[in-house]
Amino acid sequence: MNVAPPKPARNWPLLIGTIAFLVGMTWWSGHGIGFSLTELLCNLAGGQRLLQESWPPDFAFLPRLYGPFLETIYIAIIGTVVGGILAIPVAVLAARNLTLGRVVWFADRNFMNILRTLPDLFWAMMFATAVGFGPVAGALALSVFTIAVISKLWSESLEAIDMGMPEAVRAAGGTWLQMIQFGAIPQGLQHYVSYALYAFELNVRASMVLGLVGAGGIGMILETQRANFEYERVTMIILAVLVAVLLIEQLSESIRKRLA
Amino acid sequence: MNENQGSIRFTDGNIVYPNGTVGMKDLNLEIRPGEFVVIVGSSGAGKSTLLRAINGLNRMTSGTVEVDGTKVPQKDGRELRLLRKRVGMIFQDFRLVKRLTVMSNVLIGRLAHVPGWRAMFNLWPAHDRDVAMKALERVGITEKAWVKASQLSGGQQQRVGIARALAQEPAIILADEPVASLDPVTTHQIMKDLVRINRELGITTLVNLHFLDLAKQYGERIIGLRFGELVYDGSAANVTDEDFRDIYGRDFTEDDVLDEDVIG
Ligand SMILES: Nc1ncnc2c1ncn2[C@@H]1O[C@H](COP(=O)(O)OP(=O)(O)O)[C@@H](O)[C@H]1O
Ligand SMILES: [Mg+2]
Repeated sequence: MNVAPPKPARNWPLLIGTIAFLVGMTWWSGHGIGFSLTELLCNLAGGQRLLQESWPPDFAFLPRLYGPFLETIYIAIIGTVVGGILAIPVAVLAARNLTLGRVVWFADRNFMNILRTLPDLFWAMMFATAVGFGPVAGALALSVFTIAVISKLWSESLEAIDMGMPEAVRAAGGTWLQMIQFGAIPQGLQHYVSYALYAFELNVRASMVLGLVGAGGIGMILETQRANFEYERVTMIILAVLVAVLLIEQLSESIRKRLA
Repeated sequence: MNENQGSIRFTDGNIVYPNGTVGMKDLNLEIRPGEFVVIVGSSGAGKSTLLRAINGLNRMTSGTVEVDGTKVPQKDGRELRLLRKRVGMIFQDFRLVKRLTVMSNVLIGRLAHVPGWRAMFNLWPAHDRDVAMKALERVGITEKAWVKASQLSGGQQQRVGIARALAQEPAIILADEPVASLDPVTTHQIMKDLVRINRELGITTLVNLHFLDLAKQYGERIIGLRFGELVYDGSAANVTDEDFRDIYGRDFTEDDVLDEDVIG
């Protein structure tokens, strides 16, 4: 028979200590960045004025968003496709059960980690120095970002596949590449598509942020209008972006659900 | 089909797994081209270890295994692939790509026969499609060629597994407990298929079984393994219950036979 163990006593010192630590850390960090509650309250009036100027959204501006918006989507698509293709070998070589020896595995893992550690803005800057600010640099940055996202997730799915089929391919005299193509990838395909769609969602958002630093598209328009104090247009842009991102996420999610 | 008809020879073969388990012990064994050999032994006796040594899926710790007088290469590479091309394998769990058609699965048996780029882009030569279709014909499921493998029954899936092996146009077929996941009726059908194919094409066939009555009914030659050692080698016609008792090291239970009324 199962006897329930006695309920452990609450560890009060630990609880109080944790709370004290969190409060202390927050105060210290806030102090560090010059955050002051009084100042914030004084500025609320300014915030209110800004809000008033931003309303109502300037719907007449909406048609002019069409072109930049497409550009944003193009950047996201190119990033997803290029990155999605390059992520395939990176993921396969990072999967312990499929890789080509310890050295390759180790190198690929580290490569993957470096890609993942550096933020997309860093890559945008790197490519901007190489090819100049603009959509191309944005698409390249998102390609790198996509490799990082997909390869990390997918290499983990690949490590969980049933190795029976890959072995059957090898037993039939197949090469390593054929073992991957015919034995492993069919099992990981659903996950791959799902991760690629997820990467696309992230890329649409990232593509807007990259626009703020000059990669073109909707983010760039937003930055221009903000700099010109056209706050009603800014509101319009933010609304449009909100709707578009929600739509894309819904679409992508419904496809992914259907795949699962 | 092959001038070399698929002879196998183990010489002082030993396999010790990295964790120290002995999978094969001092094995000396010769199998002639075209033989139908059933390998029996209780679970863990080393049946799979023996089969998988023949196509190099398991490496020898010492001793050699030869196919048609050529040593089975002990490292990955072209030589080993060329050997595997001539050795078809059939698995207990079928090992099909469920989401692909039967035809795509059988064509995997042609991978070693066509240029890599053709297989990669699914541009199979007419000849190879033909061989695959003939293989399906041989196991009687041509009408399923364009059906997804996931839609087939267990027995049909194993037939696809056999067809994939046949598509290799092999000199040897290794079947590792091919009927262990099937019901009794299907089991007999698959065993009959294997025997018939062996007779028709003269492909050397090694079948691992753990059912004694099946071994006796379908085997020509029976090999008994115990703790990785060869403890019986003789014709199926002469094998006695006493021999089986020696191989298994214990009396039979219902688990050792497929049709229970066979136990005397
Ligand atoms: N990869 C492996 N690593 C370690 N031990 C193994 C491995 N494969 C098989 N063995 C062991 O080797 C022995 C023989 O196994 P196996 O050839 O699979 O037997 P059988 O097919 O007759 O059931 C068993 O004791 C098994 O546990
Ligand atoms: Mg086994």
